[in-house]
Amino acid sequence: MSEGKEMLGKLLSSEIKGDLLVLFHKNPGIIDTMDGVARRIGRTAKAMEEDVKDLVGLGLLGIKRIGKYEVIFLNSTKDKEIQETVADYLKGLKKEGGV
Amino acid sequence: MERVRTGISELDAMLNGGFMRGDTVMVAGSAGTGKTTLALQYLVNGITKFGDKGIYVTFEQLPDQIYRDATNYGWDLQKLEKEDKFRLICTSPNIFLETEEEHILDEPIKEIQPRRIAIDSLTHLEMFVPKREMRKEAYRLLMYLKTKGLSSLSIWETPQILGQSFSITEVGLSFLLDCIVLLKFVEIESSMKKALLILKMRGSDHDKRLREFKITSDGIRIFAPFENYECILTGTTRKRAEERFAEAIVEGITQEKR
Repeated sequence: MSEGKEMLGKLLSSEIKGDLLVLFHKNPGIIDTMDGVARRIGRTAKAMEEDVKDLVGLGLLGIKRIGKYEVIFLNSTKDKEIQETVADYLKGLKKEGGV
Repeated sequence: MERVRTGISELDAMLNGGFMRGDTVMVAGSAGTGKTTLALQYLVNGITKFGDKGIYVTFEQLPDQIYRDATNYGWDLQKLEKEDKFRLICTSPNIFLETEEEHILDEPIKEIQPRRIAIDSLTHLEMFVPKREMRKEAYRLLMYLKTKGLSSLSIWETPQILGQSFSITEVGLSFLLDCIVLLKFVEIESSMKKALLILKMRGSDHDKRLREFKITSDGIRIFAPFENYECILTGTTRKRAEERFAEAIVEGITQEKR
């Protein structure tokens, strides 16, 4: 239960993280550089660097190398796991009458 | 020679049965002419009618817009992705050009074994490739697709909406392509219509007439050729001399009767 709370807290800790989550959930086929992803949410690579690191740390986003470029992509398997953890936590809250 | 049918019956007839398997095809046209619709229809029909799995690569338009627009034609791309028959990849042109070690397409090719691919668009490569190197880079990319056994359809956006414009020739790409399909807005008697022309098809005869097409709720439909007009492509459309002559005679007779 606390794992879900912690996860949710991390996912929603900044506006940029929220933007990135929406972008990758709506567009799971994005495989792009930091700069390319930043452009797609109207930000700069520098501004979202830390948030991307956090999401990579959670395993939600993956990083791999294509030639000389480092690209970011949605880790669909981990994404499903995280969604289930968060959903379980929210269901629990609902049962307790917390939501 | 095996043909790759587009599933648009009139277009397949114009192509003498379809594109040639493994060929590099370019669909050129200005904004709003239906290039993306044609490319998606080529892939969706490939999957649903002919068992050819496909990949769509977009550099600018986000996948969620493409999913939404495709739904308007009754094409459920997300369902096809879940069934491992289709992949929609959104990336930047510089990554797509990277072929030194792993290519961005290596994984999806391994996963679904596609036979068709659409690239939206080659024009975007110009953002990352100097004009003088465009031909070389495009050649490398198109040859990569050919080597992987993919029949490719690439989009090229031409700048002008009306009149003469064909910038493919500016960077010398037309020599690299096996087939070029041109989509164009034309003005006929004060209304804007859409026209389709097969400009080139290497190694095969094809319909050389300019035909009207419409984007319907089922996708692209092609109609009769613009037979009574001339100079349509140059933007100075007029009725053919015979038509004008016939009209003048009819008008003369009508006036005499009065």
